Amino acid sequence: MVPVIHHPDYRAYCFGPDHPFSPLRQQLLWSLLDALGQAPEAIEPAPATRADLETVHHPDLIDRVEAASSGTPPPDAERFGLGTPDVPVFAGMDAAARLLVGGTVHAVQHVLDGHARQVLQLGGGLHHARHRLAAGFCVYNDLSVAIRRATSAGRRVAYIDIDVHHGDGVQWIHYEEDTVLTISLHEAGQYLFPGTGHVHELGRDFGTGFSFNVPLQPGTQDDSYREAFERVVPQALDWFRPDLLVVQCGADAHWQDPLADLLLTTHTYAWLFRALRALADEYAGGRAVFTLGGGYDPDATVRVWALLYLILQDLELPEALPAAWLAEWQSHPALQGVTLRERLHDAPRRFAVHDAEAIARQNREVCRRLMEMAVRYWY
Amino acid sequence: MLVRDIMHREVRTVDAGTTLADAYRLQQEYHLRHLPVLREGSLVGVVTDRDLRLATSVLHPTPFPDDARVEQVMATPPITATPLDPVEEAARLMRAHKIGCLPVLDGPDLVGIVTGTDLLDALIRLSGAGRPSGRLAVRLEDAPGRLAALMTAVADRRVHAHSVLSYPADDGRIVVILRVNTLNTHALAAQLRAEGFAVTWPPETPWSP
Repeated sequence: MVPVIHHPDYRAYCFGPDHPFSPLRQQLLWSLLDALGQAPEAIEPAPATRADLETVHHPDLIDRVEAASSGTPPPDAERFGLGTPDVPVFAGMDAAARLLVGGTVHAVQHVLDGHARQVLQLGGGLHHARHRLAAGFCVYNDLSVAIRRATSAGRRVAYIDIDVHHGDGVQWIHYEEDTVLTISLHEAGQYLFPGTGHVHELGRDFGTGFSFNVPLQPGTQDDSYREAFERVVPQALDWFRPDLLVVQCGADAHWQDPLADLLLTTHTYAWLFRALRALADEYAGGRAVFTLGGGYDPDATVRVWALLYLILQDLELPEALPAAWLAEWQSHPALQGVTLRERLHDAPRRFAVHDAEAIARQNREVCRRLMEMAVRYWY
Repeated sequence: MLVRDIMHREVRTVDAGTTLADAYRLQQEYHLRHLPVLREGSLVGVVTDRDLRLATSVLHPTPFPDDARVEQVMATPPITATPLDPVEEAARLMRAHKIGCLPVLDGPDLVGIVTGTDLLDALIRLSGAGRPSGRLAVRLEDAPGRLAALMTAVADRRVHAHSVLSYPADDGRIVVILRVNTLNTHALAAQLRAEGFAVTWPPETPWSP
């Protein structure tokens, strides 16, 4: 059994009813696992301390988040990315964000202490938060604080980010470090937030060659995505030889996602989760921490994350979702306009995209260019 | 953006009497392709690695010996920029003359040099994403107030534009590229479309569902 980290108060990380990064997604997931008779006993983490946060964040940012926790942004909040459309302030913001950080730190500590080889943190994945800047729905960077915990203990961490957005916060925080390898697959920055994640972002100083970016074309489908993953990730792990993987499992590269433009089906997610476990076994002694992340279509996101949970626990995948669960949520006022699908998996499909072959060709070329540049630092 | 904002201020030069071999060695040592040539402290020409290679090539009808002087093979008079020229003027000069660098003169003094690489860097900076941001492309009628209307519509939603880039489209309209401080550009695009703006990125549905 892979231990699960979760706390009921995770739902306090909420930017308001109209904001896409909604705690409803976790609530849906939890109730689905319950309806499937698989609800785990979760380990409840403690919030991260200020000292933990300061291992990656500037005190000025933490001060502003603390001040904003009254619900009113301090006068210079926008300089720190707070009080913006993406990161509006809310009462209790600091405590809510710290609890998510605490969860990811706990997950990594659990692995470091040898209590488990793999841990699932059912929350977190706030990969856009930077040293001195909140951004893209992310206040504090739980991933980087947890990674820092591992590197402080002398471990080498490979961070793999399958969220549709570039994992910029994690990349920049560890950009000059040779103990952290970051790999991000995402929709290319010329099309999607945060605008970075180009192949030439390879790291700096000691960290040169330790940052891998796979920017993919809008309209990328299952086959091309899997091909890109296989061209880059196993080779990078083979070079780096991590002690531990930290994986951000954003579900927003799914074709239903309203915020981005990739076209993955649930089948590729299932494939990815199995591939990531196999890579952990092969290159990291089986050690891996999985977190959630983006994912803004409630129907797709809950099915992707249910797959994550079930695959990590080696459970059989049900074909249909429980009728009672569907009935309960389909009529829920928060899901107005959302149609919940009856099956866990999408029907296998290809999309009629303009010149899919050109998209696949471009993705292949980008991988080739990346590996050609990276190989110089590894031989 | 002006030439003085992107130029290199430390310029390596050679004297008009320097031999081709010495000039070549200097270029190799410092990875330079262009050397301004001075005579008694005044700029009189530019010599490039290509000038040196062509002048000494065995294919040249009367190749120069390697102890010839750079003033015999340099381009003269030099084409130059001033620190207050806009970068687009520098680009136009280099494009028109098909040359790779411009020595920068402030009055009689050589104060810097701009190369093609510096202009590429400037292009990257002009189009770049300095802060985490989403990208929005809008085709606007090339008429007074249209850009202002777009910026107002964006600001009304408390969205901030980090950068604005525009260029003329084929149909007489202008394409405006905004980098905005939000991840949710699809929602913003839908709202702008509802107000009549022709948003070309992000798309509505580029694939059939």
